[in-house]
Amino acid sequence: MFHTTFYVRRLHSLCGLLILGFFILEHIGTNSMALAGPAFFNGVMGMVEEIPKPIFYSIEIGMYAVPFLFHGLYGIYIALQANNNPLRFGYLRNWNFTLQRWTAWFLVVFLIWHIGYLRIYLKGVLGNPISFELLQNMFSNPIVAILYVLGMWAAIFHFCNGITTFCMTWGITKGPRAQNVISLISMGLCAALCLATVAFMSSYYIY
Amino acid sequence: MAEKVRFIIERQDGPNDKPYNQEFDVDYRPGLNVVAALMEIQKNPVTVDGKRVAPVTWECNCLEKVCGACMMVINGRARQACCALVDEIKKPIHLAPARTFPVIRDLLIDRSVMFESLKKIQGWVELDGSWDVKDAPIQNPYTAQTAYEISHCMTCGCCLEACPNVGPQSDFIGPAPTVFSIFTRSENLTRPNVLTRLWKRAALPVAATVKIASKFAPNLSSLQLTSRS
Ligand code: SF4
Ligand code: FES
Repeated sequence: MFHTTFYVRRLHSLCGLLILGFFILEHIGTNSMALAGPAFFNGVMGMVEEIPKPIFYSIEIGMYAVPFLFHGLYGIYIALQANNNPLRFGYLRNWNFTLQRWTAWFLVVFLIWHIGYLRIYLKGVLGNPISFELLQNMFSNPIVAILYVLGMWAAIFHFCNGITTFCMTWGITKGPRAQNVISLISMGLCAALCLATVAFMSSYYIY
Repeated sequence: MAEKVRFIIERQDGPNDKPYNQEFDVDYRPGLNVVAALMEIQKNPVTVDGKRVAPVTWECNCLEKVCGACMMVINGRARQACCALVDEIKKPIHLAPARTFPVIRDLLIDRSVMFESLKKIQGWVELDGSWDVKDAPIQNPYTAQTAYEISHCMTCGCCLEACPNVGPQSDFIGPAPTVFSIFTRSENLTRPNVLTRLWKRAALPVAATVKIASKFAPNLSSLQLTSRS
């Protein structure tokens, strides 16, 4: 069909902002519970475990795995079409365009490690529930902790810059002024969420 | 002795030859612009080390920022050479061809890919007759303003050079032909009533469209359309 690319790109954008965006916010929300201490965090984790398995799995596959794979694989295809040029054209949008792709490459590797180790190996194969102690143990290695903070930052930037571009793609912000306003708001959100990440990561060293 | 302005020019002898740099000094004079300096170099193509070389090739036409022919990369930014005032840019001045397009020789590039894209999207209005447009519908000022902005495009190619999504690796036709298609898409432009239809459906002021074919004005705001996502 003639317009396939057009629709697949819209789907890519929609799925990234709504589904994966929700996923990031959910992660930041849940992880922030660590600030309230191990007991509280484990309580929240326990509540997640309460969700009946068939529902939990269908959410995981339908809501996360499938959109993730689609967004990731089609995203790789998009990223391969770019000719990143921020050094020649240092406009803000050329930089953000490039960072959007660099963070994406980092996230592909990071997420394979993160999901593969935590979700599939530790939780799936070994059957260990994710707990404060388990994470604390993992983050006692500073390199792992730093990679996790970088992973979160990359995901947050990708999401927040995604808000700006989503608004352009869908014709919500058409003029330069509206685009600047949204860009400022989303970069503000990006800074706030990045700080929140540092805050909840530090709780593993406090308790 | 007169003050000199140093130019560092990225040259290339033919489409498949290796690029190399050459430096030239040009006598300063008030109001000197890059095209005028290139003309001086053409008159006396001697490099700073005193070597006589083949004159630098480039393209220009209107000399007043309306044709787009003189687009090149000046100090890293794609822009029109005819309005690049030596007084206003950093020295030494680096000139390079816009490599998004095939280089023919030195600073001369082949921009025909853009015109091919305009053909693909049928980005023109066929004027093979005259039509009475006195009853044309009234257009809202915002639409008219947008249409007018787009009609300024002089197919210089700056936006294609700056856009990271344009290049041999992708089949994106680039910002300029894309905005053009806003007006002409899905219109059968060979129909005799095309002008009236354009007024109605694509909101294009006739005067502005005809202008596209005859005379262009520089349009910098369309650079806003580069590099999304
Ligand atoms: S849209 Fe602007 S930058 Fe692009 S080709 Fe037209 S005049 Fe040049
Ligand atoms: S010669 Fe510079 S735009 Fe025409």
